[in-house]
Amino acid sequence: MAKLSIRSVSKSYGAVSVLDDVSVEVEEGSFVVLLGPSGCGKSTLLHAVAGLNPIDSGSIVIGDRNVTNLPARERDVAMVFQSYALYPTMTVAQNIAFPLKMRGLDRRTSDEKVAGVARLLQIEPLMSRLPRELSGGQRQRVAIGRALVRDPRLFLFDEPLSNLDAALRTELRAEIKRLHQSIRRTMVYVTHDQTEALTLADKIVVLKAGRIEQTGTPLSLYDDPDNAFVAGFIGTPRMNFLKAVVVDDGKTLTVGEARVDISHLKTGLESGKTVTLGIRPEHLDEKQGVALSLAVDVTERLGSTSYVHGALPSGETVVVERREDQPRFGESITLRFQPKRARVFDEEGRRIR
Amino acid sequence: MRPAAAASDPTKHFFQPIIVCLTVASVALTLFVIWISLHDLSLMRAGREKFVGLDNYIRFLGDPRAMAALWRTVLFTVLATVIEIALGLAVVLFLDRDFAMKRLVRTLLLVPIIMTPVVVGLTWRFLFDPATGMANYLLSLGGIDQVDWLGSPRIALFSVLVADIWQWTPFVILLVMAALESAPTDPLNAARVDGAREWQVTWYVLLPMLRRALAIVALIRAIDSIKAFDLFYIMTRGGPALSTETLNYYGYIVAFTNFDISYALAIAIILTVFTNVALLTMYSVLFPKTGDR
Repeated sequence: MAKLSIRSVSKSYGAVSVLDDVSVEVEEGSFVVLLGPSGCGKSTLLHAVAGLNPIDSGSIVIGDRNVTNLPARERDVAMVFQSYALYPTMTVAQNIAFPLKMRGLDRRTSDEKVAGVARLLQIEPLMSRLPRELSGGQRQRVAIGRALVRDPRLFLFDEPLSNLDAALRTELRAEIKRLHQSIRRTMVYVTHDQTEALTLADKIVVLKAGRIEQTGTPLSLYDDPDNAFVAGFIGTPRMNFLKAVVVDDGKTLTVGEARVDISHLKTGLESGKTVTLGIRPEHLDEKQGVALSLAVDVTERLGSTSYVHGALPSGETVVVERREDQPRFGESITLRFQPKRARVFDEEGRRIR
Repeated sequence: MRPAAAASDPTKHFFQPIIVCLTVASVALTLFVIWISLHDLSLMRAGREKFVGLDNYIRFLGDPRAMAALWRTVLFTVLATVIEIALGLAVVLFLDRDFAMKRLVRTLLLVPIIMTPVVVGLTWRFLFDPATGMANYLLSLGGIDQVDWLGSPRIALFSVLVADIWQWTPFVILLVMAALESAPTDPLNAARVDGAREWQVTWYVLLPMLRRALAIVALIRAIDSIKAFDLFYIMTRGGPALSTETLNYYGYIVAFTNFDISYALAIAIILTVFTNVALLTMYSVLFPKTGDR
């Protein structure tokens, strides 16, 4: 077990920069999620940590060892792949024992460890099967077992649940969480699924186009995003973004007819400036506050709540989480929100606090 | 499919006649060949053949020239297949990286395959010419004595083998390369992370994944080698002193030099049976039924 420091790592393929001065600190025993849309460089970064991808500049330190120039086999990390990456010609038992075999462990110790892992992951009945005789969930369990068996300094997960169906994904997600809580090892997990990130992570690193957009705990990213990208990427349904104009010497915003008090912001804004107001769907169903009128388009009923899609008089589309009523197509409803719950972003998408 | 559905499946009207035609043609021909091989049909005395039972087959067992040819066929097949597979695999593993001329190299690999055997045979005959050939010239550069490549009974078979390897190793390379490219790369990376050195990645993960492709290529090459005729005909005509006469070639001599048709067909049948037994054995070793790995 060890901490991981990724320091100013850059990498480009020809003229395309995939990682641009990325630095991440992963504390010992913590669970860090690299989150971002596809093509943001998160998998490239993970492969670089594993030693499967060389980097152009920067350094990677695991524990107190600089591993930047070491091959994958000497880094003592374990990795779980999206494609499971099981050895197709070996049985489950042989798959799990492979890392031990490569380390020259004697047969008896190896067998004991493999049996222990199999017990932990409840895959004992599968031990003599071949990977292609397993279901997706079972394969990923075996892959996790192969990572667990040798107690590496660092666990890397590369979108391990993306190939599984929804129910299995939830189940295995909880299992990974439980695993982390019981063995308390340093884990780095790559995903594009913000639900996975929010539920698993101690710390989330949001990446976009090879750059870090924000680093923080799940709640801080959700409540206090640094920019419109993070605000929009985290949370489902995504945050509503409304165009607003600064009036009244920076003390008020106008959104259509409505006036929003922003005197709590520390940064002064010039009158006449256009900004973006971000409001989460669950913050638009208040008893009091600024009122907006919504022409209802579609209502998605989810049981305990409903998501109402509609348009403001300005034509901007908005999603609201409603708890009590389920308005229908054509109805007009009033939305209310507290100005302090809304987030303000400038034209470049930077947060104004 | 349910039995009822199978019975009323209209597509059978398309494939069944073809199956019947093919079956009749192959079964009828085979039976006819067996029938002739049980006679003593010779073109030297046409119309006077009579039924001789298994005489031709018994004659084969007591025919030292035939037995020597059979042994040579086995030797040639085993050597050609093993060397071509090993060499082809080595080249594939060596070529498995990105380099500038990859496409060009791949195109050049096709050249030996598309060349007609006549051209290949003649080219190698010229290369192996003891007086004017390139092979002896290269040996002379190294200060090594000249070799009578196609004229020495101890060497000639191996000279033909060299030509066969030159022509067919690229075939192995292309097929194995295709298999390699369709193989998933994640398990290789997983093995690297799991602590395997490059040779261990190749030995424990990559080669087992290529096993099927290698087995199929080996089968194809083995079948072709058993039936090899063209290179022998052009390079040595079975000589010198019968030292390159394979069973297939001997069958040809019996039929078209000695006109002993029945005996030639008996040899052909023995060769066929021998081939089938050998290949089925090979197949069951390579693809064991249990586990179907």
